[in-house]
Amino acid sequence: MFKNIYFKATLLSSVLLFISCDKDDTPEAENEMEVFTKAVIKVTNLSDNSSDTYEFEVEEHDHDHDHGFIAMNQEGEDHGDHTEIELESSSEYKFEITFLNESDPNNVIDMTEEVIEEKDEHHVFYELIGDGISYDTTSGDTLDSDGNPLNLVTKWTTTNATVVDVEAYLIHIPTSKTGTTRDDFGGATDVEIEFEAHVESE
Amino acid sequence: MILVEQQMLKLNLRPTLSLNNSHYFLSIKSILFPTAIIYFIAVGFVFAQDCKLNFEGYIIDSDSNLPLEAAVLEVVGTNYNVISSENGYFNFKNLCSEIIEIKVSHINCPDFYAEINLKESRKKNFYLDHKIRSLDEVVLIDEKVDNLSTSAKSYSISGTEKDRYSNSGLAVLLETVSGVNTLSTGTNIAKPVIHGMFGSRVGIIYNGIMLENQQWGQDHAPNVDLNAFEDVKLVKGASVLKYSGRNPGGVIILKSSLPKKIDSLYGKTILNTKSNGAGGGIVSSWVKTYENGTYFRSQGTFKKSGDLSAPRYILSNTGMNENNLSFTFGKNNIDNDLKIFFSYFNTETGILKSSHVGNIGDLLRAIEADEPGVVNEFSYNINYPKQSNEHFTSSVDYTHFINDNKELTFKYSWQRNNRKEFDLRIGDFKNIPSLNLNLSTHSVNSSYTWSNFSNEFINGIFFEVQDNYSTPGTGVKRLIPDYLNTKFGGYFISTLNLNNGLNFGFGLRYEYSSNDVYKYYRNSRWENENYQDRLGKYVIKEVLSQKLIRKKVVFNTFSSNAGFVKKFAKKYSLGIQHNYTERAPNIAEMFSGGLHHSLASIEYGDPFLKKEKTHKVLVDFEKKNGKLNYRINPYLSYSKDYILAQPAGFEQTIRGAFPVWEYSHINSIFKGLDFDFVYQIKDNIRFKNSISWVEAKDYHTKEHLVNIPPLVINNEVQFSLSKFKKFNAIIGNKFVNKQSLFPNNNSLTSVIENGKKIDKIVDISTPPDGYNLFNLNFNWGPYNLVSSNIYFSLSIDNVMNKANRNYLNRLRFYSDEVGRNILFQIKIKH
Repeated sequence: MFKNIYFKATLLSSVLLFISCDKDDTPEAENEMEVFTKAVIKVTNLSDNSSDTYEFEVEEHDHDHDHGFIAMNQEGEDHGDHTEIELESSSEYKFEITFLNESDPNNVIDMTEEVIEEKDEHHVFYELIGDGISYDTTSGDTLDSDGNPLNLVTKWTTTNATVVDVEAYLIHIPTSKTGTTRDDFGGATDVEIEFEAHVESE
Repeated sequence: MILVEQQMLKLNLRPTLSLNNSHYFLSIKSILFPTAIIYFIAVGFVFAQDCKLNFEGYIIDSDSNLPLEAAVLEVVGTNYNVISSENGYFNFKNLCSEIIEIKVSHINCPDFYAEINLKESRKKNFYLDHKIRSLDEVVLIDEKVDNLSTSAKSYSISGTEKDRYSNSGLAVLLETVSGVNTLSTGTNIAKPVIHGMFGSRVGIIYNGIMLENQQWGQDHAPNVDLNAFEDVKLVKGASVLKYSGRNPGGVIILKSSLPKKIDSLYGKTILNTKSNGAGGGIVSSWVKTYENGTYFRSQGTFKKSGDLSAPRYILSNTGMNENNLSFTFGKNNIDNDLKIFFSYFNTETGILKSSHVGNIGDLLRAIEADEPGVVNEFSYNINYPKQSNEHFTSSVDYTHFINDNKELTFKYSWQRNNRKEFDLRIGDFKNIPSLNLNLSTHSVNSSYTWSNFSNEFINGIFFEVQDNYSTPGTGVKRLIPDYLNTKFGGYFISTLNLNNGLNFGFGLRYEYSSNDVYKYYRNSRWENENYQDRLGKYVIKEVLSQKLIRKKVVFNTFSSNAGFVKKFAKKYSLGIQHNYTERAPNIAEMFSGGLHHSLASIEYGDPFLKKEKTHKVLVDFEKKNGKLNYRINPYLSYSKDYILAQPAGFEQTIRGAFPVWEYSHINSIFKGLDFDFVYQIKDNIRFKNSISWVEAKDYHTKEHLVNIPPLVINNEVQFSLSKFKKFNAIIGNKFVNKQSLFPNNNSLTSVIENGKKIDKIVDISTPPDGYNLFNLNFNWGPYNLVSSNIYFSLSIDNVMNKANRNYLNRLRFYSDEVGRNILFQIKIKH
């Protein structure tokens, strides 16, 4: 009996010592490097090379209603539900979309580089609701191994005055690189932003 | 003196050697004669070779606790044998005071040997595992009844059934028992659900060790190899208080059999090949025993499978590998037992590629699509997403038999578990796991058992230290925080065998648990939840828009089991059990924070949760005799402060809106019924049926709970040909009803359809249709092969190759369940 007690006690204390020596260091914070926090669209008027830049960033907080975006335009104002991109009628524009990771303000990561490095596994798709605006591939864009353009750079053509809702997606590992609706592309959505394209009449 | 008193009792004499004056002369005559007799008998005892000892007892079926008739008992080395009577009773008379060996044999059972140190007349019961099935394998688990959860009855799974599932996992094997379902994440990852409860509410005890492998995770399957153990038992609705007090769902117990004290070498090898997944495996175990009580046992399992197939398409990226090893060294002496055990479990599992979604719009697309988004050609490659788990165990058991009645045990175990989850990532993080958790658990416990012919009392103490940390550098915020957990406590369990076949049991357990947690909170979450008030004082560091807190969370829990089992008319038994379980919230319920990819939802814990308290009442009525045997098991449980995750708004990210689920308390009611029956139609035809039904609701809102299994009915007809004894066949049918009782946890998302933006319901709540599956199983054997026995088995699951979806599969939105599978198995017993 006594033997057992001493044996148990020594084992118990050695186990305790072994454990308590272990964990006293505080864990390091994890830096999320692949997170997208901001999308930027630079709109250049091809006739006079003037440009505007629109930033899309989302504040992470809870809502009780179904959905609704809080996006900020370049002035930094809360613009309610949609950002408005203003365009002139009968014009051509170059849209350049880039992605940033600003989780660590001291180390802003250009995620567009990552997207281009993995061009076969990424695609940008703009879905338009409304008439009067169309977009197409253009030079200066990145092509994947099969020659499909990623749509990081696109040419947009306007006709008459109109308001068109646009949903822009960055798709990871799409099942197809061509299509007319979001469903055609499959894959997983990495970025989803929306804006209103307002075409003003002269 | 004890001896003399015993003899006197036998002669119906009472010790009357009082020398009270007033009775002295009157009592001399009345005591003189008996005293003389006693004296001579006593003298005879001392000087003669004590060859007047009795050894008697009962042979009992350990499963039904009913007597076994016609067992032959023999004193080895002599011609003395007796046969157990109708009520299982046997009696050896005039035995000498020495160590004898008793051999017990029964029809269809291998011989069992027991060493008895006969110093005085003794009573001893032998419990044999005697199954109704024409099983050629009987495993003698212990000399005493396994006093698991006081008098809670357990369900046993036969060795043959277990071997049949040697290539599947533990959860699939357990589904053969009524009241048990599985919660799966694809086909390869499955967890047992008992009476509608799973995760932390179901415990798995292997080799007397409580499995600690992040069981809180819905997609965390048990990291244990069923092939390392001979004995699988299930206790429904109760914790086994000796090991834990926090399993209101139930406990699964895996044990190795006790080797015999003879010189022998035996083993078993099983080869499996299956058509679905073009996979298979091999399981082999060997035991070497020595007459002096030493034994070695080694066992290994290897499994491999490629992509599984649903009836209409391949389930891309659902391959898996598994490698397991276990080793036991033991020494059984008269006075003590020692056992040293090691095991290693390693699995790599592919997760359906199509389940990789970005946001809730992607989930909706999957729900609406008829086929998975990604279907590639068959491959054995396991790509991302995938899980990689490793579990290492070592333990030491020492038992000291103080005497026939008293036993002291001491046990130390160490488990180390590592879980890696890999997602589809970009850039430098492509091959780095998003989750990399290490869990190390040291456990020390000691118990003292006092037992005699009819009663048993166990009390014990335990101490446990558990360290959980996430390997840094994953580049993803920790899903659960790092913590150090310390537990200690004690338990008391008693089982009393009262008269007339009435067993009464009571157990109580106290546990102190302290978690030292280091948790990072994002500032936005911190502000939304107003944590500054209650957690502000625990902040130790601020970095990268996060706050690190260090908090100690302490719980004191008491759990108890009480119940009785009454046997009557030789064939009926009625058990009523009341179990009270206090369960402290697990780490995920309190501190989880992260995105669940395949469900496109964010989950948060609540650091202020209280402990969950459950009252459960079970009734177990069984008839075991004759052609018709049945078992009815209704149950009811009420939980105060039941913890579960419920929808709690949305969170916006640049990916879109994600539904948020938060852990919170409700009061819940679970009620259900398990029903099993076996009808021996003829000598060679048997019909088996089992029904499992459970319903669970929020006690106040009356809303039904999520992920509760629907009604399941299993039917089976087993038959053998009387002329060809070595063949039997089983035709089975599994009917799963459509679950019509479920909560509405749907959300809305906006999509563009036909050039318009509309809101659509993302229906994750509606369960899929019910289904009927047919299975066939053919068995041949045993055949003689050199000095071994060889068996063959052919099974066809889902014979009709029917497409179906399972409500309890978290990936049911993405694909159908697997189609037909043809499994061919060769089993060799050496």
